[in-house]
Amino acid sequence: MTHSTSELRSFRLPDVGEGLPEAEILQWLVAVGDTVGVNQPLCEVETAKAAVELPSPFAGTVVELLVEAGTVVDVGAPIITIDVGGGEAAPAGVEPSAGLIGGAAPGGRTAVLVGYGPRTTEARRRPRRSPGRSTDLPRVDHGSGEVPRQPPPPDEGPPLLATAPDMRSKPVRHGGLEVGRQAEAAALRGAAAPAQEAPPGRRGPRPLAKPPVRKYAKDLGVDLATLSGSGPGGCITRADVDAALADRSAPAPAAPAAGGAREQRIPITGVRRHTAAAMVASAFTAPHVTEFLTVDVTRTMKLRSRLAARPELAGATVGPLLLVAKAVLLAVRRHPMVNSSWDEAAQEIVVKDYVNLGIAAATPRGLVVPNVKDADRLALPELAVALEKLTETARAGRTAPADMTGGTITITNVGVFGVDTGTPILNPGESAILALGAVRLMPWVHKGKVRPRQVVQLALSFDHRIVDGELGSRFLADVGALLQDPGNALAY
Amino acid sequence: MSTETLTIARALNLGLRKAMEDDAKVVLMGEDIGRLGGVFRITDGLQKDFGEARVVDTPLAEAGIVGTAVGLAMRGYRPVCEIQFDGFVFPACNQIVTQVARMHARSKGRLPMPIVIRIPFGGGIGAVEHHSESPEAYFAHTAGLKVVAVSNPADAYWGIQQAIASPDPIVFLEPKRRYWEKADVDLDAIPGPLFASRVVRGGDDVTVLAYGPMVKTALQAAEAAAGEGRSLEVFDLRSVSPLDLDPVMASVRRTGRCVVVHEAPTSLGLGAEIAARITESCFHSLEAPVLRVGGYDTPYPPSRLEEEYLPDLDRVLDAVDRAMEF
Repeated sequence: MTHSTSELRSFRLPDVGEGLPEAEILQWLVAVGDTVGVNQPLCEVETAKAAVELPSPFAGTVVELLVEAGTVVDVGAPIITIDVGGGEAAPAGVEPSAGLIGGAAPGGRTAVLVGYGPRTTEARRRPRRSPGRSTDLPRVDHGSGEVPRQPPPPDEGPPLLATAPDMRSKPVRHGGLEVGRQAEAAALRGAAAPAQEAPPGRRGPRPLAKPPVRKYAKDLGVDLATLSGSGPGGCITRADVDAALADRSAPAPAAPAAGGAREQRIPITGVRRHTAAAMVASAFTAPHVTEFLTVDVTRTMKLRSRLAARPELAGATVGPLLLVAKAVLLAVRRHPMVNSSWDEAAQEIVVKDYVNLGIAAATPRGLVVPNVKDADRLALPELAVALEKLTETARAGRTAPADMTGGTITITNVGVFGVDTGTPILNPGESAILALGAVRLMPWVHKGKVRPRQVVQLALSFDHRIVDGELGSRFLADVGALLQDPGNALAY
Repeated sequence: MSTETLTIARALNLGLRKAMEDDAKVVLMGEDIGRLGGVFRITDGLQKDFGEARVVDTPLAEAGIVGTAVGLAMRGYRPVCEIQFDGFVFPACNQIVTQVARMHARSKGRLPMPIVIRIPFGGGIGAVEHHSESPEAYFAHTAGLKVVAVSNPADAYWGIQQAIASPDPIVFLEPKRRYWEKADVDLDAIPGPLFASRVVRGGDDVTVLAYGPMVKTALQAAEAAAGEGRSLEVFDLRSVSPLDLDPVMASVRRTGRCVVVHEAPTSLGLGAEIAARITESCFHSLEAPVLRVGGYDTPYPPSRLEEEYLPDLDRVLDAVDRAMEF
């Protein structure tokens, strides 16, 4: 580095003894304008311990003497200014760093009496070689740092003392023992060879697991020795213990054979699985309310035989289901809200102006609910044919998927099984379902007297999000009124 | 109510001054502590104000300093010895181990030893040999001694007074490379008991323990770890003997991981004792072994190499990484 212009350096009074705060400048050995070289004595100072000459750390020209001879100066105070512009600066590190104790010193350090002073460090991490290291067991690394482990270069110099044996390269004997680095190395090599074979222990290696997992397994009564670990290095994890526990609590696949004589296990598939999913979805989505009505259907039953005799209905089955279906269709016309669905995603109620009338049908494969499309537009004979075809197809197990979707309201005829009625669960996406019980001859008050009459129980379940109790009741009452006196149909 | 921003050095100076004002039996002894005010200026101005009888410039003879303190303590004084540098304490070890630590038990409790032995300890100031040692394990291993290590100005100001007030002999370790670290000190409120550890930064992933100069290093590591999405809970142990590990164990039961940091060589250092105690008490909470970050098992190196030797932020975080890998 060359300096064409002047470059001033000031020299601060260093601590010339160990730990002294001040010194007296006895006399200056240079004057302003003198050219000085590195290590040339600048002045004589006296401390509490001794008078010493201070050598110059710089080569250059003396610009100014900052203190007069005879003054006592604090350590760290500047005493002379030297222009090093014409000459070469002193090599780095020679410049004394003796600022005031605790003050700033070169290199981001703090000035101290002994040493270079502490350095201010940054709280930043150095770049690492690779983000993930091996998951092996930890190295035995007492410094736990990244110091390269290479052997130090051999020290080629002679022993510091002539009397000291050269232990590094030559064999050394002390008394009858061979000592020295060579002997130690040889002993280590010997130790590396397999020693006398240890007697076999009774126990094999313990299963690998972290302490919390050991505790967890012990508390749950899981023997770690029976598990294989899925963690790093075959370590048994908490999940492995959980899995073992799950295997234990769930009966093994062979178990049914043991208790098989008294239990039969049927896989949940097909219609059963579909029905289960639909019923669970419906039951836990739509809040169900069920209302009951018992109706004297004697007149309807009489009408049934008259209708069956009509040529339009020749060959058709005119059962209670047909007439109840007709009654429901007529009542829906008066109460369209029962023929609607709840659209959660759109936050809308969808009111249908068509009726796809579902009929729950028991089939050998399970319950299916095919529906008669646009049933409200069919005349009674057409409806009768459609219902008959629907149930026949269902019982034959040939119902097309399209016939089982898009229903808007459903009738379930549990009466065919001889029961009075039930509390039906809505077909998902619909808001009402009517259960029809068995038509029974019952003692009934008719025109003020107890008479044997044909009586049926109706149960209407509806989605209470859409249908209030009042609407549900009116709808059910209308169906009941039509069945009690079919003549009411003329009014609807 | 007064709060002042002080360096650790200045806080110690004020704490010593306060202790001397409060109790005329407090005497200071050490090399260059009087006229010079100590090489680190910890006793600056005290001889001027309290006189040469209470702030004594001693010969360069550590066994004599501590031996004299034993006699003074027997006669009711509260001597505070300054050992100029950690590496100079070894000539005094005979007095410390065979007299200071035992007198109380030997006399069946009739002769307490209210002696404070102040030692600037640890490296990091670019000093020559014998000026950068971390001898705490020797003293912690000696029954009858208490060992504390301060890390901040408030603990320095109050800790030195608490140590002087204590009836037991205390080795009082001062982190020399942190002497000029500044912080606010409440001069009216004692920050807590002397022999208690303290959480200095909350976290959930790894519990990091440090004392003295390494507390700042651990906090720097926690700051850097936070940038990597890891939260370290940092404890300043404050007392090396007795160890206050109950709060540490409660923390380890939460984090499942623990890293101990000290400058002293790792083998048979404080970290070994702490790891053993935590393993004994928290075995079933440990997701990883307690890991130690310390100096290498070599003599303290020449100053040019000391930054390779001293545990730093990177060494702490490497250990954190290893703990998290389990």
